[in-house]
Amino acid sequence: MTVVPAQTSGGGGGSSGLYDVLELVLDRGLVIDAFVRVSLVGIEILKIDVRVVVASVDTYLRFAEACNRLDLEAGPRKSPGLPEIVGEVTESGARGKSKGALSGAAQTISDAFKQGRDEHAEESESRPRARRTTSARRKEEQE
Amino acid sequence: MSTYVYGITAASHPALPQGMGGVGDPPREIRVLEAGELAAVVSDAPEGLRPKRKDLLAHQSVLSEVGAAGCVLPMRFGSVAPDDDTVTAVLGERAEHYKERLRELDGKVEYNIKGSHVEEAVLHRVMAENPEIRSLAEANRASGGGSYDDKIRLGELVAAAVQAREGEDAGEVVRALSPLAAAVSEGPQSTGWLVNASFLVARDEAQRFLAAVEQARKDLSHLELRVNGPLPPYSFVEPGPAEPAGTTAGADAGAE
Repeated sequence: MTVVPAQTSGGGGGSSGLYDVLELVLDRGLVIDAFVRVSLVGIEILKIDVRVVVASVDTYLRFAEACNRLDLEAGPRKSPGLPEIVGEVTESGARGKSKGALSGAAQTISDAFKQGRDEHAEESESRPRARRTTSARRKEEQE
Repeated sequence: MSTYVYGITAASHPALPQGMGGVGDPPREIRVLEAGELAAVVSDAPEGLRPKRKDLLAHQSVLSEVGAAGCVLPMRFGSVAPDDDTVTAVLGERAEHYKERLRELDGKVEYNIKGSHVEEAVLHRVMAENPEIRSLAEANRASGGGSYDDKIRLGELVAAAVQAREGEDAGEVVRALSPLAAAVSEGPQSTGWLVNASFLVARDEAQRFLAAVEQARKDLSHLELRVNGPLPPYSFVEPGPAEPAGTTAGADAGAE
């Protein structure tokens, strides 16, 4: 499985591997009722309905902090480093940074396939941490 | 011995992949079962086949191989018939239907487009479009980040605005690419993409289609668009309840 940066999948439009066509292979294609299908237990995770932006306290806090960091002066049109941003995300392997709140579903699929990529390890570490922080804050509020 | 079925094609297909490796460990050898004008690409089905990465890849690469040389109706992963005779019997019984689908899909391939927001870029855009968000963010920043409640309030507004953009941007992508496709099939929105759509594209239109994708990348620079294709027409093998052709505005590429 490869996570292909936007630039390289351009032009050629070549297949970037299984990862992106996973759901087509598993969820599309011809089904003939005279045939049985092998059990897909273990990848039912595909069916989990995940909104792209998860409405949660974690997401709100993350967005708020991201907005605080944004350079408003640069403005969206001048957004100087779009290619740089993509490059940075790809190179550092910190895909969780851009995808984290947007959704973990895709990562979860690959977890199901035991693609123990570093970035996933990073992400699964960072998420529970974020949750702990949140619940700690909730406690503080209640007190 | 049960039979694993990869896809259905015409017996006249010019390059059926005999002897290639398929699913299983060791990979089972690909065979072709003919029934009249149709052929099924099959292999023996390994015991206890599971949807492992290697097997999914094998399924996909066999179909890519067949699809590269001619039209194939790809089976969904994991279709197993009790034996070869059942496969040829099914081909015989439903020959007209499969031949019709093969004619319909002949010379066409599937391109799947997945899009997600580039987070910083979409936040910029959302702030630029929304004075309330902008002033809240500025106030928070001025007060060193803002209180917990301030952050939640800002974050909630931003999340709602980004969600609204997801819907709009998905529509934009589909509108931009539909005119170059014979049919569009929007995939489930449940896998973490704001747009996940498959386009049925004539092989000789593929360059124009990819050029339109490049244009969309420029026009919608806050999106990251991923293209996969050419693929066997997974999303178009059945006319299905939501008949793809013509249902999306501008999808009628044949008119040109």
